Amino acid sequence: MEYIIAIFIGLLYACGVYLILRRSIVKVILGVFVLSNATSLIIFLSGGIQRGGAPFIPEGAETVDPATISDPLPQALILTAIVISLGISAYILALKYRYFDVTGTHDLDQLKNTDQR
Amino acid sequence: MILFALLLIPFSFLMLSLLIKKAGIKQRLALLFATFNFLWALALVPAVKFREIIVVQMGSWSAPYGISLVADRFSVLMLVVAAFVFFLTTIYSTQSVDKARRKNGHFFFSFGILMGVNGSFMAGDLFNLYVWFEVMLMSSFILVSLGGERQQLEGSVKYLILNLISSLFFVAGIGLLYGKLGSLNLADLSLKMASASDNLALLNPALILIFVGFSIKGALFPFFFWLPASYHTPPPAVTALFAGLLTKVGIYSLIRFYTLFLYYDHGFWNPVVLWAGGLSMVIGVIAASSQYDFRKILSFHIISQVGYVVVALGFFTVAGLTAALFFLVHNMLAKTNAFLVAGWVHRERGTLNLKVLGDLFNKSPIWGILFFISAFSLAGLPPLSGFFGKYLVLKAGIEADQVFITLVALFVGFFTLFSMVKIWMEVFWKKAPENIAQLAPVELKPANWMLFSSVVMALAIVAMGLWAAPIVEYCQLAAEDLLTPSKYIDYVLGYH
Repeated sequence: MEYIIAIFIGLLYACGVYLILRRSIVKVILGVFVLSNATSLIIFLSGGIQRGGAPFIPEGAETVDPATISDPLPQALILTAIVISLGISAYILALKYRYFDVTGTHDLDQLKNTDQR
Repeated sequence: MILFALLLIPFSFLMLSLLIKKAGIKQRLALLFATFNFLWALALVPAVKFREIIVVQMGSWSAPYGISLVADRFSVLMLVVAAFVFFLTTIYSTQSVDKARRKNGHFFFSFGILMGVNGSFMAGDLFNLYVWFEVMLMSSFILVSLGGERQQLEGSVKYLILNLISSLFFVAGIGLLYGKLGSLNLADLSLKMASASDNLALLNPALILIFVGFSIKGALFPFFFWLPASYHTPPPAVTALFAGLLTKVGIYSLIRFYTLFLYYDHGFWNPVVLWAGGLSMVIGVIAASSQYDFRKILSFHIISQVGYVVVALGFFTVAGLTAALFFLVHNMLAKTNAFLVAGWVHRERGTLNLKVLGDLFNKSPIWGILFFISAFSLAGLPPLSGFFGKYLVLKAGIEADQVFITLVALFVGFFTLFSMVKIWMEVFWKKAPENIAQLAPVELKPANWMLFSSVVMALAIVAMGLWAAPIVEYCQLAAEDLLTPSKYIDYVLGYH
């Protein structure tokens, strides 16, 4: 299972990088979304995958063998990362909207005014 | 509690300013809270002298499990200087930033930056560091684009995308590191890394990702492109704030990281850090010399000066780290002040193109002197802070037997001088060009508060040069603490 997810993450990264290298600003933004999801999956995978092992200590027991439950911490981290990327997505889309309003273009090559010459 | 207040102060301003509609009251409130924050940070200096490393466990969960806030001498130094810079730029922006921006959340988001910066200087674990980075970045994204002029939007697209990528690198690194070591607490991680010393190479992929994340944030070679492409677009007061705080947080994290983790694999990381720093130094200064925009020249110099700090870190001796800390503080002050002067020039002339400007020394000798102090401090003229910064770096380099890179640093100094003299000649000294139509002189209100904050900053630069000894002494103690990570670990994990 780990291998499949690892390959899938690799594919997502490849898509993200491809999209980020495009000229259209919309595709670049989509690329950032894809990359951030791939990154969340990396954190998910880092805790190891345990099928059906909810991180609870059963009633009455004092301890539980850590090998039988999944690690809850990466999931908490992903939750935070997802919330942050949600906020950023909202902002970046608003920025894109305003940018299109002002310049009337999607083309990143038109961003040359502020470049260092 | 003593550390928690530094997060609470900006947070309560954020909440209060949502309740207040009037721009004037909001502004006064901002000044009040900025002062309060500065005083509180200053109060940490005697505290850290007494207790060496202040550790606060949030919610009283003990160290590797809970969230720890840690402030050692290095953090406190950064907190104080950041609070000082923030205080002065807040005063400055009450006059420099236009009314619409001030009303629409300029202060709100600059306090957001302050909160993120304070948080990252105190973060005791990796994921919190990331969250504070995001708090800071979100606010800075909005400050860059606030106002929505065409140039600003272009700058903010570049700034946004590249900084998001840096965050993604950082989080991916955190994920991999957690997968390998099973902890996020900095002290605990360092301890675990020490016990895993025979297969350190396995950790390097994760550490490289984190290093790249920090280098993008700190604008190191070859990841600096976002900085000169965006720093000259927002209002000057915002640039001054960014120049003083943002890249320095990346460098702070790099120093913290190097002394806690990277030094275990010294043979691999030391050349990386030295090369990244050395090339930033050279490329930044050379790129600056071809520019003809006041703020762009200064932006490229940020890169070059960040390079000095990283090179001094790469020497990895007490003298080297002392030099790095001293230089970092000097750079935060001098660079911010140079941008403050740029803000005044922009207000007077409406442009920052060196070819169009001129003769401003006659217009206002005081601002001329203020620029002179900050620019020649950056170039390293003797009585000012920059001289001691550079002297310490060079001395540490020779003592650490890194003669080549020391010579490069010396050589870069000449180029810095060249750029600063160029700005000085073009903006303040030469006669105003005649063939270019003069902008209609607008009657401006006297910029007293702008002048005030710039004068205070310049006095701080001079004072840092005249009374360098106590500051160097403090930096040396901080450097010794950094070089004995076992002390940090003991304090955070409560063995002490």
